[in-house]
Amino acid sequence: MRAKVDLGVIAYFGLNGAIVFFLLAPIAIVSVFAVNPTPYISFPPVGFTLAWFAKFFANPDFINALWLSLKVAAAVLVLSMLIGATAALALVRGNLPGARLATALFMSPLMLPAILTGLALFQIYLLAGIGRPIWGLVMGHTVVAVPYVIRTTLAVLHNFDRRLEEAAAALGADPARVFLEVTLPLIRPGVIAGGIFAFIVSFDQFPVSLFLVVPKGETLPVVLFNYMKFDLDGAIAAASMVSIALALTVVILLEWRIGLRAYLKL
Amino acid sequence: MPPSPVNPLNPPAVLPGSASVRLQGLSKSFAGTIKALDRVSLDIGAGEFFALLGPSGCGKTTTLRLVAGFETPDEGRIVVGGRDVTEMPVHRRDMGVIFQSYALFPHRTVAENVGFGLRMRKIPRQEIDRRVSAALAQVALTGLEGRRPAQLSGGQQQRVALARAIVIEPPVLLCDEPLGALDRRLRQQMQFELKQLQKQLGVTLLFVTHDQEEALALSDRIAVMNAGRIEQVGAPAEIYERPRTRFVADFVGEINIVDGTWSGGRLLAADGRAMPAPPAAGRDGPGAIAIRPERTMMTAPPAGLLSGRIVTTNYLGGQTLYRIAVDSGASILVKDGRGEGNSVRAIGERVGVLWRAEDAVVLEA
Amino acid sequence: MRKSQTTRRQVLLAAAVSGAAVAVPAVLRGQSSVLKITTWGGKWGEIMKGKVLPAFEQEFKCSVEADQAFPYLPKLQASPKTDPLYDVLHSNSNEQWQAVELGLVERKITAKEVPNIADVFPYAVSDKIVGVSIFTSAVGLGFRTDKGLVPPTSWNDLAAPTLAGQRGGYLIPVNSLGQAHLMMLGRIHGKGFEDLDAAYKALEALKPIKLFDFTGQMEKALLSAEVTMGVLHDSGIFRYDGQNQPIEFAAPKEGVLALEQVLNVTPGSKVKELAFAYIDYMLRPQVQKELAEGVWYSPSNKKVRLEPKYDGKLFNTEAKVAQLLQVPWQWYNAKKDEIDARVQRILKG
Repeated sequence: MRAKVDLGVIAYFGLNGAIVFFLLAPIAIVSVFAVNPTPYISFPPVGFTLAWFAKFFANPDFINALWLSLKVAAAVLVLSMLIGATAALALVRGNLPGARLATALFMSPLMLPAILTGLALFQIYLLAGIGRPIWGLVMGHTVVAVPYVIRTTLAVLHNFDRRLEEAAAALGADPARVFLEVTLPLIRPGVIAGGIFAFIVSFDQFPVSLFLVVPKGETLPVVLFNYMKFDLDGAIAAASMVSIALALTVVILLEWRIGLRAYLKL
Repeated sequence: MPPSPVNPLNPPAVLPGSASVRLQGLSKSFAGTIKALDRVSLDIGAGEFFALLGPSGCGKTTTLRLVAGFETPDEGRIVVGGRDVTEMPVHRRDMGVIFQSYALFPHRTVAENVGFGLRMRKIPRQEIDRRVSAALAQVALTGLEGRRPAQLSGGQQQRVALARAIVIEPPVLLCDEPLGALDRRLRQQMQFELKQLQKQLGVTLLFVTHDQEEALALSDRIAVMNAGRIEQVGAPAEIYERPRTRFVADFVGEINIVDGTWSGGRLLAADGRAMPAPPAAGRDGPGAIAIRPERTMMTAPPAGLLSGRIVTTNYLGGQTLYRIAVDSGASILVKDGRGEGNSVRAIGERVGVLWRAEDAVVLEA
Repeated sequence: MRKSQTTRRQVLLAAAVSGAAVAVPAVLRGQSSVLKITTWGGKWGEIMKGKVLPAFEQEFKCSVEADQAFPYLPKLQASPKTDPLYDVLHSNSNEQWQAVELGLVERKITAKEVPNIADVFPYAVSDKIVGVSIFTSAVGLGFRTDKGLVPPTSWNDLAAPTLAGQRGGYLIPVNSLGQAHLMMLGRIHGKGFEDLDAAYKALEALKPIKLFDFTGQMEKALLSAEVTMGVLHDSGIFRYDGQNQPIEFAAPKEGVLALEQVLNVTPGSKVKELAFAYIDYMLRPQVQKELAEGVWYSPSNKKVRLEPKYDGKLFNTEAKVAQLLQVPWQWYNAKKDEIDARVQRILKG
């Protein structure tokens, strides 16, 4: 009996340890690659250098792409929160005919291979003769990011106690006040959680960007991919570390400034 | 024992006027379902503690939601304090509402919750603070202003909900099973406090419950509802002692129902014997009477109107509840504390059952 | 040394610019058209963006929009044929063949449109080429010099039993070097490039083999000694020249495979004249020299004179280019699905 319990505990920690290992191992490998002087992945590392980081930051292609990626992701963050939250509200509250169909439609970019979304938008833009402006890229990312915001907002809305809104109304709040004072603050954790997903989806976006970027207006993942075809060295790893650090910073800032700590269970 | 919420040294801060509530032929159907409410009419007096009692799905909550304005009736009018509010949006109705789940705003502190209604009324900050403090003092929550709802016990949350509802000085207070989520002990205490507060404020209180004991204990009057209709309206004693219909008799407390056939003003059992009942001239055909267990008595078998065997005994302290399987096949409850020598009778004992004609209530067909 | 070289190149380039300015048709000067091209990244891209393209823009009073982001062909295919996304497509030979089948590029370019074509080696405009090849690399065997290997002299040396698990190849469905190598196996072990049965058998004999997507990965695998010998183009070895890396390139006696850098124009281009001018510019000896010495590609223009260091290694004489074998891409592309499926089975087992 005792032995059984111990085995269970061992299995529990073993499994969790394995999961953590598999999640973190790639990051560990990349971080070793980023500071190892050899221009290829080698283990154990033969030394320590920041030369790859220097190479990354000295390369205007990388830096421009990094800025563009951040700008696009920031725009996608804002847009997808606006669109996703209002869409989720309309889907749940709107008494719309065909709300289920509309939900499926909004979610469909998740089912579709992202590269097709990118290709389709590319063709639409070219056929419409609008070229490939940055806002076109932002729209492309937003299309695939919005489902995340809708999902997380829907989750909050489904657990939403509508009596909170009724209570506010009974206390004298008109519909606009009810929305601002009760609905919005309470769905905020869901919207922001979705927004963070949206940011990361955009910042790491490769397949959609592939067709929508223009020469000299390429996002970091595209630049990295193309760089990798010709130069596979530590600069790639340094770039990965920089983008992981940036994404993490944004997530932590959002969490800290706007507050993800949900008083609602998600 | 927690302090009583009504502090005699701290008189109520608010003494709102109260309003009567008149419901005229309210009907309401929800998409795809049968009528939730079917021509419900009620007159609730100003300052009355009025309970809507019934099983779930009877329409009591729908009635309350119509009064609050959360739903609009398909037909009928709602008149509060002489004003027709049927078309008035919720936020202008000035109703205090207390929900079973309390519906406290989780993202706001206790003080912000209580002050919400005042803020919506654009009352100056200082006065809000003063009135919130007074309301919290009234429900004995002084000192918890800065807490969030999640940090409070169920009883405390209930009191915040109460304070939030009364601080706006509503003429009518609507309570949807407000005590339903509390445990039995707390519930009894809150019942007492609610009743006291209501009398002190003089507010009209419309109270929805499925708990007949709670309704009997608290209300000035009760409306018993069933399947979207009102079965009976009356004072608690009237509802308990004189149920008019089989449904009311059955729903409110334990009761024995004896079926038979009216003939010549007498109710005849299947074997042809007349059951003791008040004379009911003009009745004919199948009918029933109801007798409370505490109004029935046991005797030696041959002396009873009905005779049978004791199946279960349930000692209640001072009284014992017997279930007796009578020979006709039905079962009868007898609550007996007056028997000879107060000795508890044994299971299996053969007894006779009888009651006085004036203790039987004639049920409407 | 290095510095003085750079300076020299700049001077040469400047000379080229000023010299050619006179020859530019008047119609091209003074108009501010945009030339949309594809080009490679990496060192090549640096030279292009740093010097070659700015000089072209200045000379032809135009701006060049150079797309370095793959995949060029699907993008071109998805854009309207009458207003194509690119005016000039730069790719390897196999993709040009795919493009011409789809009607996305011209079949042939001659000295009439691009005068410098008169000076190119025959392989650059052979019947195996769609458009014109401006450079080529030679695909042979890359190997490590510090593992006691006898320098390979034949493609068959890759199959040596001692190299089991130490040899490197490519994921044939996605890499054109892998595809060319497969055809080479057919030629060596069978009746020719198109002898698939012989090629499959020879491929089977190479197992166990490490497979890569890109040549860049193969280079790193050689550098890190993950593999000791692998299929690679000469420039993929020569680019580490001067870095003291223990790797070397071997040209097998059966011949090396040409990995051509091909330029071509799109039929729907709105600036076709400029597009041809660009190709002609890329074939100028000075531009060819600049790029050839930058990335170790063998120039197509016979008139290019390389520094001795490059001269000895690159394929820039009639005798040397005679070793280059050009594979039948048109045939291969038509059979690609069938070959992919078969190869995947072979390499999986």
